[in-house]
Amino acid sequence: MNYEKAELLDRLAAEYTLGTLRGRPRRRFERLCVDSAAARSAVHRWEDHWSALSRTITPVQPSAQVWAAVSRRLFGDDAGVGAAPRGRRRRIWRLAAAAGLVAVALIAGLIMRQPAPPPLQTLAVLGTDTAHPLWRLERRLPLTALTIEVIGTVPEAAGKSYELWALPRGGAPVSLGLLPATGSAERTLSERQRTALLAADKVAVSIEPAGGSPTGSPTGAIVIVTNVPVAG
Amino acid sequence: MSRNEPDDAELEALLSRCAGGDRAALETLYARVAPVLLAVLMRILRRRDAAEDALQDVFVSVWQRARQFDPIRGRALAWLVSMARYRAIDLQRATRPAVALSEVSTLEPQLQSEGPAESGDVLATGALLLRCLEQIAAPQRRCLMLAYEEGLTHSEIARAVNEPLGTVKSWVRRSLIMLRRCLES
Repeated sequence: MNYEKAELLDRLAAEYTLGTLRGRPRRRFERLCVDSAAARSAVHRWEDHWSALSRTITPVQPSAQVWAAVSRRLFGDDAGVGAAPRGRRRRIWRLAAAAGLVAVALIAGLIMRQPAPPPLQTLAVLGTDTAHPLWRLERRLPLTALTIEVIGTVPEAAGKSYELWALPRGGAPVSLGLLPATGSAERTLSERQRTALLAADKVAVSIEPAGGSPTGSPTGAIVIVTNVPVAG
Repeated sequence: MSRNEPDDAELEALLSRCAGGDRAALETLYARVAPVLLAVLMRILRRRDAAEDALQDVFVSVWQRARQFDPIRGRALAWLVSMARYRAIDLQRATRPAVALSEVSTLEPQLQSEGPAESGDVLATGALLLRCLEQIAAPQRRCLMLAYEEGLTHSEIARAVNEPLGTVKSWVRRSLIMLRRCLES
């Protein structure tokens, strides 16, 4: 890499980590990081430096509902029931206040009810051929999460993992996580995954070392590529 | 420097247990770092409810991405704080109330280079950054702090310090070049 390019990467990494790189340039730089180890290492250097500033911050104890909600989202623990919709409850209260609703009993009824989960839409059925479906992918609408259900017998890949990728048009593959071998899983999408999936017209499955690709890009054989409906 | 500051070696061990699917490790990790991350999120998002929602998202991602954490790439706390900051930045436009000028101009960024570094190179790196920041002129340094700590954009900083946008952009750019030179020396 020439010196100018290293300089440019460092400057972008500095502004990215500082937070002043915004909007499309920010997204472009994130995409560059997927492919460029040099960009990633510049980002990591700056993250390490800046974190000195967070070491002096006064911690704030989160309310108990936050952990309960994390636990519920990840593990479906009962401990978390009623915690996650807290933000939604507040919104309901605010809405109610704004609308001048004074029917206290009605509001109490509203907040006691768990909000219905957003609808699911099948995104793709993944299989090596149509006769052997292995996984069903469904997405929550609006796109916040994927559910993955094993619907066939997943061939055992000793010491390997199956990893799911979004293939955004014109962009590098973005990992959507590992595919379960049995049962089902729900994955909350990060903003990067969501953006990639919204821009994707295909998803792919690759065979990776156990635990997933060490590089952030597919490294092993791509065993499945399937079309997905664009921009859900 | 907080006395209970999370220790990177401990955080790395917890992350590696999370990568192996150990739920108890995630809970311990949460207990260790959630308060720091919430503080970071609250400064950027300004609202506790939005910050707590973001904190949830961050820990869901931590669990899902723990195996991507490579101790060689950087320090665990830096990785976690960065995840929180990027989440906040992504959410900012949607959730942060419009920033009133008066509000911003009263925000005083804190640059606390207090106390001697306690242990090893972790804090030495921090001390280096703080030393380098001190070499930057106060108005320019304030721009960096507003960006990092409050999550302000170039335009918001320009309003906060009452300088033209072009001036702020070039201050930030030049300060970063100076910082880099100082950090490398």
